Amino acid sequence: MMSSFALFIIVLIYLALLFLVAHLAEKKKSKVWINNPYIYALSLAVYCTAWTYYGSIGVAATSGLNYLPIYIGPIMVIPAWIYINTRIVRISRVNKISSLADFISLRYGNSRSFSAIITIVCLLAIVPYIGLQIKAISETFHLVTETPMSKNILTDNATFVVVLIALFSSYYGTKYVDASEKRLGIISAIALESFLKLFFIIILGLFVIYYAFDGFSDIYEKASKFEDFKAKNTFNGIEGAMNWMVLCLISGTAICILPRQFHTAIIENRQEKHIKTAIWFFPLYLLIFTIFIFPIAWGGRLIFEGQNVNPEFYSILIPQHFDNTLITVFVFLGGLSSCISMIIISAITLSIMLSNNLIIPYGLLGKFKSENEVQNTRNITNIRKFSIFALIIMAFGFYKYFILKTSLDSVGLISFVVIGQLAPAFFGALFWRRGTYKGAVIGLLAGLAICYFGLIIPQYYFSYNQELKGVLREMYNAFDFFSISFLSKIPQIFFWSILVNTGLFTIISVSVKGNYRERNFAELYVDIDKYIQNHENAFIWRGTAYVSDIKNILERFLGKNKTEQALRIFNLKYSIDSQTETADSRFIKFSENLLAGRIGTASAKILIEGVTKEDKISLKEVLNILEESKENITLNKKLTEQSDELQKLSDDLRKANESLIIKDHQKDDFLDSVAHELRTPITAIRSAGEILADDDDIPLDIKREFLNNIITESDRLSEIINDILYLDKLEHGEIALNIQQNNILETYKKSVNPLLHLIQQKNIHLSEVNLLNQFIFEYDEARMIQLFQNILGNALKFTDDQGTIQTKLSETKNELTIKIFNTGKTIPEEDLEMIFDKFYQSKNQNILKPTGSGLGLAISKKIVQAQGGNIKAENSGLGVTFTITLPEKIKEIKNEVEHN
Amino acid sequence: MKKRHEQKLILLSIGLLVAFSIPISLLFNSEKEVFGYPMMLIYVFAIWMISIIISFVIVKKYDE
Repeated sequence: MMSSFALFIIVLIYLALLFLVAHLAEKKKSKVWINNPYIYALSLAVYCTAWTYYGSIGVAATSGLNYLPIYIGPIMVIPAWIYINTRIVRISRVNKISSLADFISLRYGNSRSFSAIITIVCLLAIVPYIGLQIKAISETFHLVTETPMSKNILTDNATFVVVLIALFSSYYGTKYVDASEKRLGIISAIALESFLKLFFIIILGLFVIYYAFDGFSDIYEKASKFEDFKAKNTFNGIEGAMNWMVLCLISGTAICILPRQFHTAIIENRQEKHIKTAIWFFPLYLLIFTIFIFPIAWGGRLIFEGQNVNPEFYSILIPQHFDNTLITVFVFLGGLSSCISMIIISAITLSIMLSNNLIIPYGLLGKFKSENEVQNTRNITNIRKFSIFALIIMAFGFYKYFILKTSLDSVGLISFVVIGQLAPAFFGALFWRRGTYKGAVIGLLAGLAICYFGLIIPQYYFSYNQELKGVLREMYNAFDFFSISFLSKIPQIFFWSILVNTGLFTIISVSVKGNYRERNFAELYVDIDKYIQNHENAFIWRGTAYVSDIKNILERFLGKNKTEQALRIFNLKYSIDSQTETADSRFIKFSENLLAGRIGTASAKILIEGVTKEDKISLKEVLNILEESKENITLNKKLTEQSDELQKLSDDLRKANESLIIKDHQKDDFLDSVAHELRTPITAIRSAGEILADDDDIPLDIKREFLNNIITESDRLSEIINDILYLDKLEHGEIALNIQQNNILETYKKSVNPLLHLIQQKNIHLSEVNLLNQFIFEYDEARMIQLFQNILGNALKFTDDQGTIQTKLSETKNELTIKIFNTGKTIPEEDLEMIFDKFYQSKNQNILKPTGSGLGLAISKKIVQAQGGNIKAENSGLGVTFTITLPEKIKEIKNEVEHN
Repeated sequence: MKKRHEQKLILLSIGLLVAFSIPISLLFNSEKEVFGYPMMLIYVFAIWMISIIISFVIVKKYDE
């Protein structure tokens, strides 16, 4: 037993918790934990209302398998969300859509009347549904406190709870004047509620299974003794299966179109990838929810068999039966969560529709045009706040006067069927270009009429007035012909209404010529993937418009600063000069988008239309332009690809050209050097020859010296020429390498031997450091000796007397590394790379008489490169180190090179 | 996600639609028991579970 007061305090604390969560989430918007996909996926569970929480258990206990379709329907559709919802989210994002009414009516030519009709349909469907939630809150409250239901509004505790919910929704739901903004606070609170209701139903399920009974099989065994048990857990033949299937279809459509689902799944979607998480998470959530319904329902029947209790409230009655107040309160709070979250989201999304699609476009646009931003913003939010209260009061009225006696289940299903009437227009918008406004509206109205006469009047009129009389009776009799004997009432009406609705929609659409504007949006909707990047280009508009006029309108809603900012972004995006006076179609669409979130798409269009003059444009023209722009988009793509290719080609060409120029220079330099190098010995030879020829009286020893000079210079000349030829051959790969397994130490010894006496002469200390594990490597020995001699000879030249030359042999990562260090003059840093160029020394040592051909290092480099290795020089400490690296397996590398 | 992988999920949707429709659903409409529970319930929940696993695998595997 729980006192009313205590329970009310608990409810207050619970509501305070929701406020706190919403507040924190709004404050910490950017935090990772608030931005995760599970909050999105959990918020979708606003689908599970009191109908699910209490109603399903009633259905499971009284009519068996029929409790499953409202879950099976959604799980059939959810995997396809990857396609459906991703596209709706994109369409809504680029068009700043803030409600279901906006989404459908924009597609059918951004029609004000259509969006108003949709709003009314939603109100018709959802207000009783909200009433249902209030009913559940009130009934369970009295059930838990074991007090009689109160007829007086002022003493009914549900009244106060509802007022608090209205306050909460109107505060957090209207925080942003732009309705397409994300309301993180509300969504986080809803996600928490979704978690709590699941948590509480799990606790209850475990309580029933393990406390009230001895495990699941105990319930099952006892329940299977009921006479109707087997019948309840099978279909009643084909008829039962048919009914079941239609119910699945009804809820499958509802999960996509219900305004609260559209709001949480589309409008509040922050990132497209969150949909992916929802695709597996939400069915899992529903599965856990549903698994416990079976034991609770049958457990309840076992406990209360023969007593006059409402099976819908087994979940509260069971813990109460066992005097467990804690679990009773838990279950009550779980039910309260389902009710509250449904009421909040429905109230918010319906209030947006009421304000943006009904009140503003039909009543207040003129007023808005003359007021400033602050007043307009205040007015818009006030309209929404007023709408939320109006809706909840309407729902309350509904609960008090119409649905007090009906079950949760039937009200919920009727609401699904009514909302289902939007399905043809909704799915048509996504997949069918040719659907027209006239077809959609007429189909919708016809379907609605069938629902109204077939379901709503009998349901609510009966509950109010019990008996049908007179003309109405006769009318219903006349329609008896259409009743389908094997379907129950709700599937029947769903079948007929959807059949007539879809039939009219499609037939009228194909027989009436569409309006150019709706065809324009049809293309944008169906081909959203193509237009996602520059959707403003896809909007076709022709006429005269001035930026200043439109700016004036924008300022009235956005304020001066925001308008300027938006214009700057627009100009930047399309690289338009800020001084441009006339507005083009892109600017019109851009401005409509800016206004759409605040006053709805239809009103935005009307406002912009007021200051612009649109020229007539035929459907054919629109189609042509769209075709062109589509072609343009693909063409652009192709052109970009081609120009990228061209760019790459020209880059390659430029590089090739640059390297050719460099090579050309090198060749010139080389020729110069060769000429210079050749001239030096020739000059010496010539002058010696001249002296010998001119003067016969030269003493013999001087004559001999001159002759010796001629011989050495000739030797040098032929050495140079040999080296040049050799280098040329190396460069052109004409010298075949003779690669064998050799002992590197022996090769080194062979290279050093001829130099030994020179080394001794200069009194140079030569040493080796051997860090090798093995000495057999693959290389061309003759070339290697040449390489060693070149490097060592070079080192000898620059090492001062009594200096040091040290050779270090080591192995790293399949490489043989040879470092030859000599003390002496260092090489200028900028020349370190150039010393391997041909004739490097001669350029810098012109004053001195050059020794050697000046090609030694160039040849060395070529030799190393030919064997797949690398050589470099660096200044280290007191001298210079040459580092030679050679790969261990030269043969393989060579083979690869040849193959290539 | 690539179009091909998107289509896997759409196929799953269609598969579920078929699995819960006549005549497939009627195949399991029997008073017999499987693992000690009504066949229909086992069928519904098994398909449900499998669809969750398939969606999960597709979504995680082909996430980009």
